[in-house]
Amino acid sequence: MSDKTQINNQASAIVHPNISRRELLSFGSYGLTGAALSNLVSASEKTNTETTHFQPKAKRVIHICLMGGMSHLDSFDYKPQLQKLHGKELQYEERPATFFNRIGLIRKNDWGFKQHGESGLWVSDLFPHLAKVADDLTVVNSMVAESANHTPATFQQNTGFQLNGFPVMGSWISYGLGSETEDLPAYVVLPDARGYPAGGTINWSNGFLPSVHQGVAFNSQGTPIPDLFPPDGIASDTDLSSRKLLAEMNQEDINRYGPEDALLARIRSHELAARMQLTVPEVTGLENETELTREMYGLNNETTRDFGKNCLLSRRLLEKGVRFVQIISGGSFGSPRINWDGHEDMVKNHNREALRIDQPVAALIKDLKQRSMLEDTLILFTTEFGRTPYTQAGDGELGTGRDHNMYGFSVFMVGAGLKSGTTFGETDELGWKAVKDQVHWYDLHATVLHLLGMDHEKLTFYHNGIERRLTNVHGNVVKEILA
Amino acid sequence: MTMRNLSNLNSLRFFLVTSVILNLTGAVLSAQTIDFDKEIAPILVSHCLECHQGNEPEGGLNLSELPALMKGGESGKVVYTGNAEKSLLWERVRSDEMPPEHPLNDQEKTKVKRWIDEGAIWGNGPLDLFSLTTDQRAGRDWWSLQPLQRAMPPDVKSDWVRNNIDRFIYDKLATNRLQPSPEADRRILIRRLSYDLTGLPPTPKEVDQFVNDDSKDAYERLVDRLLDSPHYGERWGRHWLDVVHFGESNGFEYNQPRNNAWPYRNWVINAFNEDMPYDEFVRQQIAGDILAPDTGGSIAVACLVTGPHNTTKPSNDTMRKTMRQDEMEDMVGMVNQAFLGMTTNCARCHDHKFDPISSSDYYSMASSLAGVEFGERNVPLDPQTVRKTAKLKNDLKRLESKLSGLEQIAREAALRRDENLESPYQGPQPIAAWNFQTNLEDQVGSMDVTLVGGARREPSGLVLDGKGAFARTSRIKKPLSAKTLEVWVQLGDLNQRGGGVISHQTADGVIFDAIVFAEREAKRWMAGSNGFSRYESFQANEETEKQKPIHVAITYGSDGTITGYRNGIPYGKTYKNNLAAYAADTSEIVFGLRHGLAAGANRMFRGTISQARIYDRALTAAEISASAQSSGIQIVTEAELVAQLSPAQRQERVQLNLQIKQIVESLKSLENVKVWTAQSIAAATVKVLGRGNVLQEGEVVAPRGLSAIQTVDADFGLKPDSPDRDRRLKLALWMTNSKNPLFSRVIVNRVWHYHFGAGMVSTPNDFGFNGGKPSHPRLLDWLAAELQSNQWSLKHLHRLIVTSATYRQSSRMNRAAATIDADNRFLWRKSPARMEGEALRDSMLAIAGKLDRTIGGKGYRDMREYKFKGSHFYDPIPQNQPEQFRRTIYRFSPRGAKRTMLDTFDCPDPSTITPQRAETTTPLQSLALMNNEFVLAMAKATANRLETNQTKTEEQIRELFRIAYGREVEEQEIERSLPFIQAHGLAAYCRVVFNSNELLYVR
Repeated sequence: MSDKTQINNQASAIVHPNISRRELLSFGSYGLTGAALSNLVSASEKTNTETTHFQPKAKRVIHICLMGGMSHLDSFDYKPQLQKLHGKELQYEERPATFFNRIGLIRKNDWGFKQHGESGLWVSDLFPHLAKVADDLTVVNSMVAESANHTPATFQQNTGFQLNGFPVMGSWISYGLGSETEDLPAYVVLPDARGYPAGGTINWSNGFLPSVHQGVAFNSQGTPIPDLFPPDGIASDTDLSSRKLLAEMNQEDINRYGPEDALLARIRSHELAARMQLTVPEVTGLENETELTREMYGLNNETTRDFGKNCLLSRRLLEKGVRFVQIISGGSFGSPRINWDGHEDMVKNHNREALRIDQPVAALIKDLKQRSMLEDTLILFTTEFGRTPYTQAGDGELGTGRDHNMYGFSVFMVGAGLKSGTTFGETDELGWKAVKDQVHWYDLHATVLHLLGMDHEKLTFYHNGIERRLTNVHGNVVKEILA
Repeated sequence: MTMRNLSNLNSLRFFLVTSVILNLTGAVLSAQTIDFDKEIAPILVSHCLECHQGNEPEGGLNLSELPALMKGGESGKVVYTGNAEKSLLWERVRSDEMPPEHPLNDQEKTKVKRWIDEGAIWGNGPLDLFSLTTDQRAGRDWWSLQPLQRAMPPDVKSDWVRNNIDRFIYDKLATNRLQPSPEADRRILIRRLSYDLTGLPPTPKEVDQFVNDDSKDAYERLVDRLLDSPHYGERWGRHWLDVVHFGESNGFEYNQPRNNAWPYRNWVINAFNEDMPYDEFVRQQIAGDILAPDTGGSIAVACLVTGPHNTTKPSNDTMRKTMRQDEMEDMVGMVNQAFLGMTTNCARCHDHKFDPISSSDYYSMASSLAGVEFGERNVPLDPQTVRKTAKLKNDLKRLESKLSGLEQIAREAALRRDENLESPYQGPQPIAAWNFQTNLEDQVGSMDVTLVGGARREPSGLVLDGKGAFARTSRIKKPLSAKTLEVWVQLGDLNQRGGGVISHQTADGVIFDAIVFAEREAKRWMAGSNGFSRYESFQANEETEKQKPIHVAITYGSDGTITGYRNGIPYGKTYKNNLAAYAADTSEIVFGLRHGLAAGANRMFRGTISQARIYDRALTAAEISASAQSSGIQIVTEAELVAQLSPAQRQERVQLNLQIKQIVESLKSLENVKVWTAQSIAAATVKVLGRGNVLQEGEVVAPRGLSAIQTVDADFGLKPDSPDRDRRLKLALWMTNSKNPLFSRVIVNRVWHYHFGAGMVSTPNDFGFNGGKPSHPRLLDWLAAELQSNQWSLKHLHRLIVTSATYRQSSRMNRAAATIDADNRFLWRKSPARMEGEALRDSMLAIAGKLDRTIGGKGYRDMREYKFKGSHFYDPIPQNQPEQFRRTIYRFSPRGAKRTMLDTFDCPDPSTITPQRAETTTPLQSLALMNNEFVLAMAKATANRLETNQTKTEEQIRELFRIAYGREVEEQEIERSLPFIQAHGLAAYCRVVFNSNELLYVR
């Protein structure tokens, strides 16, 4: 075996490639000790869950995922030139390729920009709360994507591929690092209260990775996880007696047919399920938080409540040992809009969306910081692409909306292992194309894995003839933004 | 280094040794000089050619042929014959600079040096990267590409052996110091066989019969009975649907449901049940619409379009082309993996890094499938229906001509009364018509137009400013589904976007069909509709006419066909979509506004409409053409027409209309069997795309097969621009050729995989370099040959496998054996397996006595589909509804649905090709089995069933054990169960049984 493949689960050419006994272990292997562990994991298979490739800076991730395409020009990528050229025609050598193919006049940023904090980071008035934590942000202004079509671009943002069917980053990280808790899934998704994003659960699919790595979406109303409790009519002593009886019957089955790893693992999974029933209500019980905290996250304000709850819940999930929490801002497309897709009216659209999330995200950053959690937590704040410096309008017209822009846009990260209060990369003077230090999704993914202690070329899974990676065959760690 | 590579090296060494011996015995002294072909070529191929070959080699240095080698690269001359020390090539190799990262070992280096020193003598012709297998990649000599070799089964002396399979297995076990396990007991065997062949548990009666059957062939008869069961096709059909990633929605942003994809699922089930020869099974899935259009072949080709399909089309051409390439990658990838176990996807961007598949191979395969498009078509379900339809169509034609004859006379008479008319109007009768050059009145009925927001009528027509102006009519009195929208319009601006010229909309402005200009694509007409739900691009040319009015029409056929016309000529391509039905008195017509109640955003049209008409059917091309030329002709109103008819004629007209309506309805029900399947389109001429980039077009390729398979000519003898028919037909024949060694090896391995939980090749979709090597290569070939010589009968293959002693072994753990072969690759026992999600659900239904055993049909839904902002979502609804109690294979399976118990049990999302399922064990499974409403409903139903049959609790337990586990309960088990049932009830007890390992695992 070459070095490259050592990390994956294919211990040798004659092992069933996709099913290792390690997969039988529910959520991670930290908690399994003694006989159970030695029965379930052979020495050669103690790979990803036991060790990382090198010393990690971050141990867990919160990914705030903005659907629809947040305008970099109106948030983090300040372009004074846009003011000057407002209402002028774009001078270009090639006609820009955009989704709707309507190239209107250039439009200035609709929000004022100021420098903030000691770092002097540029943040627009769209995000007044985030501006206050500017010194904690690591902004990348030179992102590029390969599609200007929402869903393929979103898939690429999350999986590295534009097609359906590939595992998302959260699944990869769950696969690579396992979970620090047995009581909760390794990868939890908190969808926008207004609805699922287009494509539904494909957005947190495990793809070809075992289903244990699938994102588990927590419902914002009702029981967080389907089937967490019996619907009704089953008394708790019946439940308890049933478990006892089940354990007895399973033990007898083992006595009858002999021990099997899979059967032992299943017995264990019933115990873990019971623990999950205790932990999930506990972790989702936001009423236990102080009034100060609830206020900080915006739980007392109708506009910020939904997103604030998810931000606060994500902190609580991390505290319980969840590896990857994905908070989604925005639902599906179409009209009227419930995401960042500001084709018609940027001011109306982005104001509405930003108001929902600005305070909660800033609160999350402050809260993690004051609890010293930022030291080993990584926050990602990303969107599938940016928006065009010219308006989406007829020739010679100055519209109020902007079209999709895959050539240049902004994301930011916060936390462990990063140079904070910095921006990296540049777009051209209009903010149309990333021209300096381009960062592709592959590079960003490689960087995230790097911060988590994993080499993106070594985190692989065999599927249909290829040792698949999150980064396909690309990716360079963006060393410049590392602390 | 892997075992695989070691064995390659070993064979290479063996080869070297023999050649030396031959040289010695032949007393040939040329052994002094190094043999290029045997010693140097492998080094160059495996370490250098990856980068140094082709048109744009690294550093300009091409090492694949002598002249190029001697020419050198960007750094100048690299080889001085006879002088390695002076040669740059040697310098780089010696210093480990080349090859980068993995330098040559000393032995290899010595050879290279010696070779140059001896004059760098070259062998025959250029080297070929794909010629030899190296430790980096597979060449054309890779094991799976070699012809089948039907070996004699090993001569094994053992009573254990039942058939030839066992000889191979026993031989290998013995070599590895292993013993087979004894035969499992009959209760285990019948449960195993039932699940394996039908996916359902045996009934207690079936168990008793088999256990008490003393005849010698009891087992064989059981196997035959199960293979004859129609549930066999359901079980094995499900496996096949995994391989072709059969899904019932488009995926991506809109994720529209494919409501008519189910016939393919039934076709697969039937094909298995009828034991369709496997080669025919595959031929039909590639070219069935050509080979057997009237007997299901047109449904079979749905196989090619089961995958995701992005219908969110950008205006930009490059983006659209790239999307088509993505689609082709999915299709080409799936076909080659499913049928040949070869991964080809990588070769979209570059020659395959591990297998002998070039970019040109990939695009040739893409060319073979280039005429396939996603969509629906009306498929004749059977010859009977075809005949019936033909007769009705004939009748319809006759009645329609009679009616039009009758009306024509009246129409001409009416028009003759108008002296100003130059020629009588000959066209079809609209239900409403406006001539805005004259007035705003409906010339046929009473749908007069009201102007809104600054719209005005001028002599040129209805003038719309693209801002606030539009016009609307009163409600349409009759129901309207099939229809034609027709306008004469002059564009005010070619760059405007998204305005509607004429729109038929519900009165709330939500549902609509409209003639829209440049919403999705600049300067192009389109059929606008709510959420683009009936939109597909006409893929027509840009509009350039701004100076004078043009005639634009869109027809909406009753079968969902949508056709655009411009100036009387079809506008781009016709497509089949769905049809919106508008009830009487609910819809209206608006002009100048795409849809809605008020002016807004990009919905407004700028231009002048001179005339407009709507019809209650799709006009024919000829009618449209005539209409387009008849601009300015007046219309006969319904009242005028009727006035010209005698009472008898009026009566006859009513009768004719009634008969026509009936026939149209009958035809609709017969013909409207729309099926999601492959559309045959004009196949593009395919070019190799550099790095997979649509802007980097390279050489044109002809449709052909993979050149790596040398036993069948990959050249189809077709030109690059051949029609789709020819391409797919040749592909199907090439693929299924009995000399194609991969074709039979792959299916034999697949079948083996499902019977034993692991294939002889552990990677059923990958027989290439990265795949597993066969555990029993000779058995694999023997079975492949056996399949071929038995008319490709899969049932024959099943029978052979499940009647073997190998298959009949006990699954009991044997620690000693496990230390030698933990993964049971050599089959010292039958590995126990956890049921798949489907088998688990079906079992619970069967145990509860609730299973609806209907075969085929449309299937069931356990989810609510709804559309929200253009995207479709699929949310679970209560899972305990009786209409859902069918086998799980009939479940409607969209992509990206919210999770259910099935996902938890590793049923894959149909976005992913799944040659082998994961078998995980998670707490979420435990939660689902304990708490899911379906499980609880089944537990309750089981309890009811037991209580109906037996009154005594003890007997109820006995029966439950028979039904669920297929065995008799032991007395101590009854004793333990009784107090539990007394305290918590029988249903709670059944719930525990559903959760038990004994139920979940098949031994």
